[in-house]
Amino acid sequence: MTAPRRRGRAHEVRAALPWLVPTLILIVGVVLYPAVLMGWTATRKYNAYGVERGPAGWDNFVGPAGALTFPTVPIPQILINTVVWVVVVVAITVALSLLLAQFLNQKFRGRKLLRLVIILPWASSVVMTATVFNYGLQTDVGLFNRLLVDTGILEAAYGFTKNPTSAFWVAVFVAIYVSLPFTTYTILAGLQAVPEDILEAAHMDGANRFQRYTRIVLPMLRPALLVATLINIINVFNSLPILKILNETPGYNTGHTTTTLIFEYKAQLGPGVASALSLVNFAFCLVVIAIYLAAVQPTKEV
Amino acid sequence: MARFATTGLAVATVVALALTGCSGGAAPTASTGADGTLSATTIKILAPSYSESSKSDWQKIITEFKTKQPNVTVELQIEGWDDFSSKVQARIQAKDYPDILNDNAFAGAAEAGLLYPVNEVMSANTLASIEPALLKNGMGTDGKQWAAPDIASSRMLAYNTDLFAQAGIAKAPTTWSELAADAQKITALGGDIHGYGLPLGKEEAQVESSLWLWGAGGDWVQGNKLVANQPAAVEAFTEMKKLVDAGVTQPNAGATNRQQAADLFNNGKLGMMLSHSGLLKETRAKFPQTKFAVAPIPSKNGDPVAFGVTDFILAFNNGDANRKEATKQFLDLMYSDSMYQTWYAGTGLLPVTTSMIAKGKASDTDNAAFYDALSYVKFLPVGDPKWDALQKALQGTAGTITSDTPENVLAKIQAQVDAQG
Repeated sequence: MTAPRRRGRAHEVRAALPWLVPTLILIVGVVLYPAVLMGWTATRKYNAYGVERGPAGWDNFVGPAGALTFPTVPIPQILINTVVWVVVVVAITVALSLLLAQFLNQKFRGRKLLRLVIILPWASSVVMTATVFNYGLQTDVGLFNRLLVDTGILEAAYGFTKNPTSAFWVAVFVAIYVSLPFTTYTILAGLQAVPEDILEAAHMDGANRFQRYTRIVLPMLRPALLVATLINIINVFNSLPILKILNETPGYNTGHTTTTLIFEYKAQLGPGVASALSLVNFAFCLVVIAIYLAAVQPTKEV
Repeated sequence: MARFATTGLAVATVVALALTGCSGGAAPTASTGADGTLSATTIKILAPSYSESSKSDWQKIITEFKTKQPNVTVELQIEGWDDFSSKVQARIQAKDYPDILNDNAFAGAAEAGLLYPVNEVMSANTLASIEPALLKNGMGTDGKQWAAPDIASSRMLAYNTDLFAQAGIAKAPTTWSELAADAQKITALGGDIHGYGLPLGKEEAQVESSLWLWGAGGDWVQGNKLVANQPAAVEAFTEMKKLVDAGVTQPNAGATNRQQAADLFNNGKLGMMLSHSGLLKETRAKFPQTKFAVAPIPSKNGDPVAFGVTDFILAFNNGDANRKEATKQFLDLMYSDSMYQTWYAGTGLLPVTTSMIAKGKASDTDNAAFYDALSYVKFLPVGDPKWDALQKALQGTAGTITSDTPENVLAKIQAQVDAQG
């Protein structure tokens, strides 16, 4: 019995191959090859010009000029920043998106227009959005600063982007702003899948609004919420442009996350150390996701 | 991860292209190079954008070159200054070396053995046409001429004469204490006017801090080493910090780039800043209401200081005799008076050939002070391969004096340099 089936399986694979080849080439070329190359780069010594100068062992990780040990880099602060960055941005984004989605799911005049407006930050490029915020927050010509001063909220213009700590929190704000549309729409799609009749039945059984939301809507939203959160975690963790554009302080300041630190290293220490940190960064991201998955157990059925 | 993935692929593609490109028609010997006789080949130029006209300035030379050598294709890539080094880095990592690179550093590439000494890619006449004092700046610590300067510039003190008059200051400061007092008086005019522009952000920190170090009588070069943490540097950084603490500089000095300080100066909000001819050319053209003059840079004891910069032409070794010969022909043409005059004028900076310097001194009254300063300018140790590490450490860390002690800041800079061996 087994032999013919195996032959059939092999035949199937051969028949499917022509359709799989483009995907395989892409996976090998775009995912595997660069990943292997990065691993290789992380163990080689480079000068700042990017010219290879032989093997480096673990020097790019923990040597005198290693990613984790280069003097004057506030590594603990940067690790804390990274966790704060991911947790705060994702948590606030999801919370606000739940509210927004609930609101957009109501029937009211102008709903289509409002839905369109909410999608705008998603439709525009992140670099552009961050640059607009950066210009707006400049001390001499920035409109936001002008507004804050003219309305009396601030006494004098404040260099929000010129100080690593305030720049970090401005970046958190902008990151939430650009993450909202995607999350809201994912949740909205989930909301529309909640059947009206179940809600009505619950109403008949005497469940109040709050009970209906926590006992019926939220559990049914669980798959959509989990996907939205996971994608947000990965996106926010790897987000480079917002922090890079909004934090104008040079060097190893206290406004970095591990992702922006990679680019500081690339400029000062060359690709070897930068690759070493990207590997560490990747591992770090996996840990964050593992913690998330362990906490919410998405495979567990409701 | 995604970003790295795409970069990796791009690099791979470029490498593949470069390899196939090179294996093509490398003839064993190059032709002699008289008009129209060079064999078909391609040379690549990578250059920064000095001004809006940079691309067309290069294009003029290329067009002229094409009429002489129709078989040679010239590929020009122009990139902005602020991210130029990473563009160069990318080309080098992809092993797609430009035949001609216009940059402000050469020691790293020379040390890595990527370059031709310029006397192999420029005729003796062309080299002789360059002012010797400036040419020396392109010499490596090994005594070889790895780069040829293509433009020069010097930093001097630009000061707003209207603000000086309002504050009742008769003449430009020559010592640090005069500078601090003048900055105080100008800041006291009120409004959002600041006395002194101190751009310690990434773009200019290495220049500003070097000028203060020289003003204290020090130098980064100590024997055959580059030393950041030295008494004169502590003195210089203390003096800068004094200005910040007195509140007579623009706010956020540690995150201010040169252009941002220049914007303030152009709009009449800054009493003084260290500036160069290119920036002031823009002030003259676009902000005629801002009246200014230039003076030597003040120092601790009053001896004038000026900062000299030359940018360089580097020629990468692509192991192809045809490309090398075409590069030589191109560079000789570029430095010829007729071509070079429009090219350097487009940058807004100063020329490096003796004939153009003589001509500029006689006719360019706007920049007379800068031409005069060329006789006493000091240069950064760009020929030292270690300078790159010190420069980047200064760019990233010098600005922290706004919130840290000069001793700590210099110790941090020294630690970063030492860690890189």
